[in-house]
Amino acid sequence: MLSKHAMRIILVVISVVAVSGVGLLVKAQLIPKSFGLYGAYRADAIDEEAQRVVRHGTNASCFGCHPYEAKTHLKGDHKTISCEFCHGTYSDHVKSGKKIADLPVKKGAEITTLCLRCHNTEIKARSTIVIKTVAMPDHLEQQKVKLTHNCNQCHNVHAPLKYINEAKKITGLMEEH
Amino acid sequence: MNPNLYEAQSTLSHGASMLISNYVFPNDLHVHWSMMIVLYPYITGLVDGAFIIAALYYLFDVKSLKPVARFSLLFAFAFLCCATLPLLLHLGRPERNFNMLLTPSPSSAMAGFGYIYAISMGVLSFIVLFVYRPDLVERGKKSKGVMKLIYRALTFDSDDLSKKALELDTKIIRFLVGLGIPVAAVLHGYVGFIFGGVKANPTWSTPLMPVIFLFSACVSGISAIVLAYIVIRKLGSLSIDAACIKTCIKTLTGFFILAFSFEMLEVFSHSYLKTGYHHMVEGLLNGPLASSFWLWQVKICSVIPLILLGFMAFVKMRDSIYLPISTIVSAILLLQVFIMRWNVVIGGQLMSKSARGYTVFHPEWFDKEGILAVIIIMTIPFIILYVLGKIFPFWGDAIKGSISSKPVRKTGGN
Repeated sequence: MLSKHAMRIILVVISVVAVSGVGLLVKAQLIPKSFGLYGAYRADAIDEEAQRVVRHGTNASCFGCHPYEAKTHLKGDHKTISCEFCHGTYSDHVKSGKKIADLPVKKGAEITTLCLRCHNTEIKARSTIVIKTVAMPDHLEQQKVKLTHNCNQCHNVHAPLKYINEAKKITGLMEEH
Repeated sequence: MNPNLYEAQSTLSHGASMLISNYVFPNDLHVHWSMMIVLYPYITGLVDGAFIIAALYYLFDVKSLKPVARFSLLFAFAFLCCATLPLLLHLGRPERNFNMLLTPSPSSAMAGFGYIYAISMGVLSFIVLFVYRPDLVERGKKSKGVMKLIYRALTFDSDDLSKKALELDTKIIRFLVGLGIPVAAVLHGYVGFIFGGVKANPTWSTPLMPVIFLFSACVSGISAIVLAYIVIRKLGSLSIDAACIKTCIKTLTGFFILAFSFEMLEVFSHSYLKTGYHHMVEGLLNGPLASSFWLWQVKICSVIPLILLGFMAFVKMRDSIYLPISTIVSAILLLQVFIMRWNVVIGGQLMSKSARGYTVFHPEWFDKEGILAVIIIMTIPFIILYVLGKIFPFWGDAIKGSISSKPVRKTGGN
């Protein structure tokens, strides 16, 4: 005959097994039906994600209303850059074809910060063949302009070499290689 | 080392916000796994080491460890409660701390960890309950109301303290501790495996990783027990069992020699094998980690304790000298293991995936994973320990004779 103490321990073991069993049952109930259909995730999540409202547009979405900028942008070295990259999200600006708010416009020193996001020589992993990079304020010193100058004072932000090339044409200077 | 590969903290012109060198990709600049991921292996290590001390007493009959055996169990339990907390805080969901134990799944390496966590938590809880049963029964008899109910639940409603019942308890404790040792070893070996399994990182991706983590875990856990035992007993003006500390220090010496040897062997194998990424690891250890690895981890926190431990092993000294040195050694070794975790976790991320550049890491005070968060996380286990101490007496001084939850057996334990 087992002692009372031994019986209690057997009860504990049975309880542990029972709790684990109930836990497994509850877990089975709580797991969403579509979980694991394709992998360790809820298959329904794919449809749910697909239903999300699209927030971004393409450059074509912008050019419809901004023909002047489109003309400059499409001719310049920045033609492959998305408008949203500098100006912000399309859906913050337009809803159902109507303008709902202004997008923030970068001004002054903010413009330099924005440009250096890509054009900073310190980002060593950046391919210099694809993107021309500069170090500040070395670049301003080399170009013999004031150190307080912002990038857009020489460069058109949509077509970076537009003014430069025009100036060269007027003064007759040729690009040195 | 090619001096061009690492230009220590190169001077940068305007526009760069961080100190970087050579080719660091934009997504390499920021150290994503910061101090919380350092704390995670540190806390699990403390659990492991403390459990080893308890196991030496309850399973391997090292009798001199009796004064700290019960305390180590509670210490391990308190820290195990917070083991996954830094990880979940890192993920932004600290309240899901215990979910990892409740929802294990074989679907990922980390979710699979849940099985090991759940088993170790279960085993450790029952070991504590069985070890403390005689005390809890006595306390239950003296208490009233809700506390009486709590004690009844904690003692499985069995107030039987007969010799036969205690012998059965002893057998169960030995079985559970026997089960707990491989679980504890796997628990921390697995932490090392998680890092070792990151193939893309040349400093982590080594099969030595689980071994190094396991041994350093034992070092930190035993050091923590020695330090906590001495400090808590001193604060309570209680006597300190020198024989117990000596056994702890001897065990600590053994584990530390193994841990340090493996840490150095890993560096040696990197530099001898000169594998594809050797130049990076070498540049890392001599560059961004020159101070935290060679100076702090190796010279200050490993060589000095080794000399002290050797001194303690070979020179006969009075307890009044031995105990303060033990305290100092334990504190340094706790720091050593923390720095080692730091160097592995954060150090491993200070190099670019381009294998060409290095970045730096500066801890912040008030970041979500900053120094303040580290302090708070490290305080929680001690609060848990304090609360546990109200129910489970640390030292069992109150009831003498009835707590011999181990068989009297003659062995050459220590």
